[in-house]
Amino acid sequence: MAEKMSFFERIQRLDRRYIYIVVALAIIIPLMVPYNSDNVTTPSTENLYQMIDSFAGREDRAVLLSFYHDASTMPELYPMEVAILRHCFERNVKVFTLTWSPSGAPIIDYAINNVKEEFPDIKSGVDYCNFGYKPQAFAMVIGMGDNIANTMNTDAEGRKLENLEIMKGITNYNELNLVVEFSGSTAGMTWITYARPKFGLNVAVGVTAVMAADQYPYLQSGQMIGMLAGLKGAAEYEKLVDVFAGYRDPAIDYRIKTDETGKKLLAGRPFGREILQDESTKKLINITTQTKAEFTKEDFSAFVSKYPEQMSLLQGLGKPEADKIVVDINAISPEQRKAMGELTYLDLKKMSRDIPYKFKVARIGMNAQSVAHIMIILFIVLGNVGYFIQKAKQAKVK
Amino acid sequence: MSFEMMSNLVGAFFTLCIFSFLYKDNPFYQMAEQLLVGISLGYGLVLTYTRVFIPYVYQPIILKHQWVLIFPAILGMLYLLRFSRKLGWLSRYPIAFSMMAVGASVPMGIHATILVQMRQAMVPIETFNLFLIFIGTIAVLLYFFFSKAHTGVYGKFVDFGKWYMMIGFGASFGLTVMARISLLIGRIQFLVNDVLGLLK
Amino acid sequence: MKKTIPLLIVIVGGIIWVLWAFSPHYLLQEVFYNKFYLPWSYASAPFAMLLGVMSLSMMHSNKIKRRAPKWQYSYFFFAGFIITALAGFIGGTQKGGVFMWMFENMQMPMSATMFSLLAFYMASAAYKAFRARSPEATVLLVAAIVVMLAQVPLGMKISKHLPTISQWILDVPNLASKRGIMLGVGLGSVATSLKILLGIERSYLGGGD
Repeated sequence: MAEKMSFFERIQRLDRRYIYIVVALAIIIPLMVPYNSDNVTTPSTENLYQMIDSFAGREDRAVLLSFYHDASTMPELYPMEVAILRHCFERNVKVFTLTWSPSGAPIIDYAINNVKEEFPDIKSGVDYCNFGYKPQAFAMVIGMGDNIANTMNTDAEGRKLENLEIMKGITNYNELNLVVEFSGSTAGMTWITYARPKFGLNVAVGVTAVMAADQYPYLQSGQMIGMLAGLKGAAEYEKLVDVFAGYRDPAIDYRIKTDETGKKLLAGRPFGREILQDESTKKLINITTQTKAEFTKEDFSAFVSKYPEQMSLLQGLGKPEADKIVVDINAISPEQRKAMGELTYLDLKKMSRDIPYKFKVARIGMNAQSVAHIMIILFIVLGNVGYFIQKAKQAKVK
Repeated sequence: MSFEMMSNLVGAFFTLCIFSFLYKDNPFYQMAEQLLVGISLGYGLVLTYTRVFIPYVYQPIILKHQWVLIFPAILGMLYLLRFSRKLGWLSRYPIAFSMMAVGASVPMGIHATILVQMRQAMVPIETFNLFLIFIGTIAVLLYFFFSKAHTGVYGKFVDFGKWYMMIGFGASFGLTVMARISLLIGRIQFLVNDVLGLLK
Repeated sequence: MKKTIPLLIVIVGGIIWVLWAFSPHYLLQEVFYNKFYLPWSYASAPFAMLLGVMSLSMMHSNKIKRRAPKWQYSYFFFAGFIITALAGFIGGTQKGGVFMWMFENMQMPMSATMFSLLAFYMASAAYKAFRARSPEATVLLVAAIVVMLAQVPLGMKISKHLPTISQWILDVPNLASKRGIMLGVGLGSVATSLKILLGIERSYLGGGD
């Protein structure tokens, strides 16, 4: 009896350093052993995605991203920023960036440079524009409602705004119709208090999970049109970008950028809830490394016919498997890669639906998050069980 | 070793310095902590100079001869008199200047956090959930209204507010757990992926 | 007198701001806001930074002078501050310079790690402090556990209804409680702003005469 009691006492007084080791392991192990998992998207994320997507390819619409945070909350907010920038670059949405805090400036550069590596056609001053660090949020937020170029004056590289191509068609909040503020402290309050009622600007936020629960009244009232909540929000957005904006149809030739009337053709596909529920999307969101491109027979012949000159080479690579045709990307030799040309190779690689590491950081993190949450819940339960058993025993002794 | 690798190793070293605090307080942690404050301050000073002082004080006054801007510049400098025992009162002027904007926050603040929220709390009760939200909002508001004793039927109703808040705090707590873990995941991803290159 | 003029500035300026919020008049929007307030607020902004520099430097030099506990580490504060400032003023703030390199590879990892320590403390608190001692605490813990499980991919595997339940908790009871609290806080902060505007609340001006 006495022995048992001391056991419960002992686990009650467990040294905190043992707990720290368990926490560290619960995160490191799932990060090292990746597995596929699915993050259910919430309405607040979907709404933001749809709003941004509705600007796709439009001259007279733009998104402003406000990086109002420093490195301390980067693990939660940075993946959101990368995912939204990727969405904008995939779908030709004009995007502006700024920060109200000096320590936010390098984070903007990080995010833009990181995403831009995958988009060689995207140009500063044409497709995106970085205002950099600006002081006096209150004054700027109101000033932009009147005229953006006059208020902001120059971009981070010191160029006059009115000379930039991106400013064509953009005057004030009538065109720059959506701001997304990433923050660990204010959650877009300056925008909601001043710019929303005065100019009708749409406001969305990307917040740390700590603040997320407090924002629901604003979401319901429509003062915020969407919200990304912590790492989960980032993971949801990453998923949506993979399923829609980053989607490539095997039959469509994406080298053609404009149609016969000169209108811009957009890559990716528009948002659709039924697509999200469809079984086939599972293949698009695998976060483990994918090396095999799978086609149906029709898709494969459509894909091959886009490249008439490399047709025989491509057909030789396709191995029939059950009712599918599979191309192993790793089996393509450097000579074959050279023969088919880099564009064709990248197009084929894209069909394997492999996601670069930087675009799945949040989802890999969510795997570790799963294990860590279970661990915390076990800690709470174990702690309580120990506490109540100890209490019951003490009552008995008395 | 590439430059990037070396930079990452420096980052990893300072990351571990901070983590060492988990074992116990030690000189490495103390050093890192003070360095952090020093670098942050130096960074803030330089960026304020290049991104605020130069474009908004130096250029307009010296290059564009907008002499009137000397006044706000002097006004801003009065901040520094805070430390003077004799002239400390002059630092009230820049504070007063920035406090003026409170005037805008009264009507705009009422609009954003009170009027719009009240309107949303009073929408026609068409669904059961809207009914629950309606009751909950009123009960929570009354819970903080102390001019009437929380007894009898009224007390029972007000008690609802407490349960609503417990669920609300629970949700906040659950999300807070998530946020803290995410921050740690970010650091470990840095150590395991960027430094050791083990994730793909 | 030393307080009256600043107070008058706040009251008169504040009233102009109130009018600005309601009226689109040229005098308010263009003359007051664009011609006066914008440039003046920018031009007065950079000097507050020096206040931080002065106060931290004074604190640390005092510490070294008085040989206060851990005074040796104050040298690291000065080292960090002076090297970063010099690197920035001499080498410039562009990417690839010493200034940005120090910020990106020293300041950023350290401040991010500082916050991530909280995860360990929270896990330890979860084990040692969160007790379901009362019905209220039990409800709080249950709501927290449901939300925690529903946030992660694993939650879907446990039950496919979990995300729906968690969304309901956030959308209904959570929303109602946060709205109630928010209305209370909103009324309080508007009252404080009004007190400042009317000169009743003056503590922001500091003590003395």
